[in-house]
Amino acid sequence: MGLFRRLQYLLPGRRAAEEREMRAEFEALQEFADPRDLGNLTLAAENARAVWGWAWLESLAADVRYAVRVFWREPSFTAVAVLSLALGIGANAAIYSLIDRVLWRQLPVSDPDSLVTTEASYSMPKYERFRDLSRDVFADAAATSGPVDRDIEGQPGRVEMVTGNYFPLLGVQPHTGRMLGPEDERVAVLSYRYWQSAYGGAPVLGQTVRITKAPFTIVGIAPREFFGVTIGNAADVWIPMAAQPAVMPGRDWIHDSHSFFANLVARLRPGITRERASATLTPIAIQLEMERLAPDAPAFVRKRMLSYKLELKPLASGLSSLRNRFSKPLRALFAMVAMGLLLACVNVMSLQFARADERRRELGVRLAIGAGRSRIVRQLLTESAIVALAGAAVGLTICSPAASALAGLISVSGQPVRLDLDIDWHIAGFVLAIATVAAFLCGLAPALRATRLAVSGGLHQGSRGTTAAPARRITARIAATVQLSLSVVLIAGAFLFSFSLYRLTHYDTGVNRERLLVLDVDPSEAGYKDAQTGPLNRRLLDRLRELPGVAAASYSANGIYTGRSAGTSVASDVVDGPPSPNLSASYDRVGPGYFSVLGARLVAGRDFDRHDDKTAEPVTVISREFANHFFPDGNAIGRYIYSGKDRLRLRVIGIVDDIRREARRKPERLYYIPDAQTAGGVFTTRFVLRTASAPAQVAGLLRSAIRAENPALRIVSIDTADQLLDRTLDLDRVIAALSFAFGLLAVTLAAVGIYGMLAYDVARRTPEIGIRMALGATRGGVLALVFREVVVVGGAGVAIGLAGALALGRLVEGMVFELKPGDPRVLAAAVVVLAMVAIAAALAPARRAASLDPMRALRAE
Amino acid sequence: MDLMQGTLDMLVLRTLILGPLHGYGIAKAIGNLSEGAFEIEFGSLYPALKRLELKGWIGAKWETSERNRPARVYRLNPAGRKQLVEERAKWNQFVAAVATVMGVE
Repeated sequence: MGLFRRLQYLLPGRRAAEEREMRAEFEALQEFADPRDLGNLTLAAENARAVWGWAWLESLAADVRYAVRVFWREPSFTAVAVLSLALGIGANAAIYSLIDRVLWRQLPVSDPDSLVTTEASYSMPKYERFRDLSRDVFADAAATSGPVDRDIEGQPGRVEMVTGNYFPLLGVQPHTGRMLGPEDERVAVLSYRYWQSAYGGAPVLGQTVRITKAPFTIVGIAPREFFGVTIGNAADVWIPMAAQPAVMPGRDWIHDSHSFFANLVARLRPGITRERASATLTPIAIQLEMERLAPDAPAFVRKRMLSYKLELKPLASGLSSLRNRFSKPLRALFAMVAMGLLLACVNVMSLQFARADERRRELGVRLAIGAGRSRIVRQLLTESAIVALAGAAVGLTICSPAASALAGLISVSGQPVRLDLDIDWHIAGFVLAIATVAAFLCGLAPALRATRLAVSGGLHQGSRGTTAAPARRITARIAATVQLSLSVVLIAGAFLFSFSLYRLTHYDTGVNRERLLVLDVDPSEAGYKDAQTGPLNRRLLDRLRELPGVAAASYSANGIYTGRSAGTSVASDVVDGPPSPNLSASYDRVGPGYFSVLGARLVAGRDFDRHDDKTAEPVTVISREFANHFFPDGNAIGRYIYSGKDRLRLRVIGIVDDIRREARRKPERLYYIPDAQTAGGVFTTRFVLRTASAPAQVAGLLRSAIRAENPALRIVSIDTADQLLDRTLDLDRVIAALSFAFGLLAVTLAAVGIYGMLAYDVARRTPEIGIRMALGATRGGVLALVFREVVVVGGAGVAIGLAGALALGRLVEGMVFELKPGDPRVLAAAVVVLAMVAIAAALAPARRAASLDPMRALRAE
Repeated sequence: MDLMQGTLDMLVLRTLILGPLHGYGIAKAIGNLSEGAFEIEFGSLYPALKRLELKGWIGAKWETSERNRPARVYRLNPAGRKQLVEERAKWNQFVAAVATVMGVE
């Protein structure tokens, strides 16, 4: 309370008011009181002002001035301290801003807590039915396509299609113009960022923007902080859902009851909880599913649907696929940079301790002439606070670039993540908070000790510091222990992530990645209908195969390393039952020769051949994992599996060794069906090509071959398999590199810490060692004396570090590939490295101690 | 007689427990209650009043005084009341301790 009042007095208005009040009070009293009884009013006013805290403010200003002078005199200390805190604080701020945006931040909409969504996707007809039937619990329900890749004015961009009630439901107010409403058809709202980058913020209302080829009238700009409800996937432009067929020619999603592309965004009625709404909506969702069901659907499918439970998810912090994938890596990074900051603090703290010793005389004099201890502690803390604040200021400048660089490494399904990472009050507040903590961490203990020292022995110049010594030894040991334990954790992390990375890039993925290209073509924009894609794929394949430099080529619907997958429920002759996670499997539709192009190994049976066409019996090739799961008896060839809702019967003709379609995915239960036996309906196709020469030379030829077929075909990407795999490992690389960098830093600091501690010890104990030697101690005995220190400090540091590494291991569980975080080999390696570093750091002081001349050592006393 | 250091705050609180008073009135009241032993000028009292106000022990309001003139009148807050109880207890201990040391004359 007192502090709050004091802070109030810092406001000029408040002080002026107080001043007026005081004058009025004096005048009122002078009206009736004896002037002699009133006394010296000028002095009274002066003393009263001191009570209000001007004196307090002035002493703070004096502290700051004094601290700045001190820093000016010690530029190297200042630079080291500010820089190490700046790196620590900047790295923490960068990770914090990512975590804040990806995991925590609430959407900038009105009352985000009453927003919900469902896990299911909706076709527009299903959405409309659901919206109408849910009016009891939802104030309103909107649908959004999420940002979709479309060309905007000829440039790649992201367009989000939303129903007319989307913006009114969210309560988003426009920056300029208006947002979309229910009546709109061919109008568009730009995101603030797109408006700035594409138009430079110039007035655009009423202008036309072309999306693919369709013109839209710009009616508004979204507010600066609004990026849609999908975190990490910001839209450039919002258009009405009704305009979907216009921007995606050849595909009418809004009337098709089989295109499940929309996400639901709904607002609960006041007083309705999520649980209650879920319970109310469950029968409605079941009813909608039953209506869609084919009349001859098997009984167990109906039974399963009846047991369905709809679960509404909170939408307060947005939809995010990032959240699941990156929450662990981000938390691990956060832990790492937090340790980095702790290291920086320990480092600055030991520097402060050393300075405190040097300043004993100065502080002693000040205490002797009557400065209060608390006053001097306050002044020393002011110095730490200034260092920390300067570090925070420098750290803030590296925060945004660092966060953007990290965000650039995060990609989802090959698309770079888009996040708004500007510095705002959240981040500024966080930085201020950690800077305050850092100031106390590195300043309080040295300040308290410096003043205690100074009281007792500061003025005895040249004293060996009999009072100072034990305290200094203890703090040096604590610092070295902390540095060592952090080193163990960070080095163990560095080893763990490096081993994991090595395995990720070197294990057998079932595919030969050498000179393998993955080409992604989207035929839908050129107007191809579902049924035409099959023949198109075969024509394209013929063109590609003819190219010089292409050794072999094929295609599949999902390819490898593309982040795409399709799944359904499956049964086999052996394993059957109602659909369950136990009976789920993934499938891919493949073109001719797919396995031989990839270099995948057939372990049994045969590959598809040209006889496996529409007229022949439907067949499948299954993965080894699929075979093990669905045919545990080991005989799969010639048996049958039953695929999907319709229980399509497929004869197993071959087993292929597991192909890892994602870097860190476990072997999948995957079955392949030949393209020739499917009805088409492949929207995008991944061609895989083995080139005869360097892949880069072939890429240009591929483009012209695709254009020769039809110039309107969109080539989404051409990458080598290695590039695709590498891209999914960017974050692993960053984490490994960061933990190595921090680990190296920690080890260096620990080595310096141990060296400093022992060197000081040996210097202080020179007479003692001299006496011991004079009394017959051997050089070995003296060495043991010094190394005992290393064993004590090292043992404590390693023990704490191992405990920390095991505790933090849980944080990275699942992030490391085919390794356990507590892997004894990793921990042992870290301990060995640190033991060697500790011994190396102790070598010089130990040798100095052992080579002391006893006579000179004694004379020095 | 001069006041002992630190006792002024307690005396002000004690005076205000009898009822609200303006600053000059408090100075007078302390004089009267001490039967003239402590003659305190308003000027030396004023910073103490500000200090107690800042701590939230007393509050002040403009009111009309007994002579129909406006004056800033101070009154005790509940926190001040509690504080007075504490100070009184401490003071009693202090007096008893000093008396023990000094012995009976």
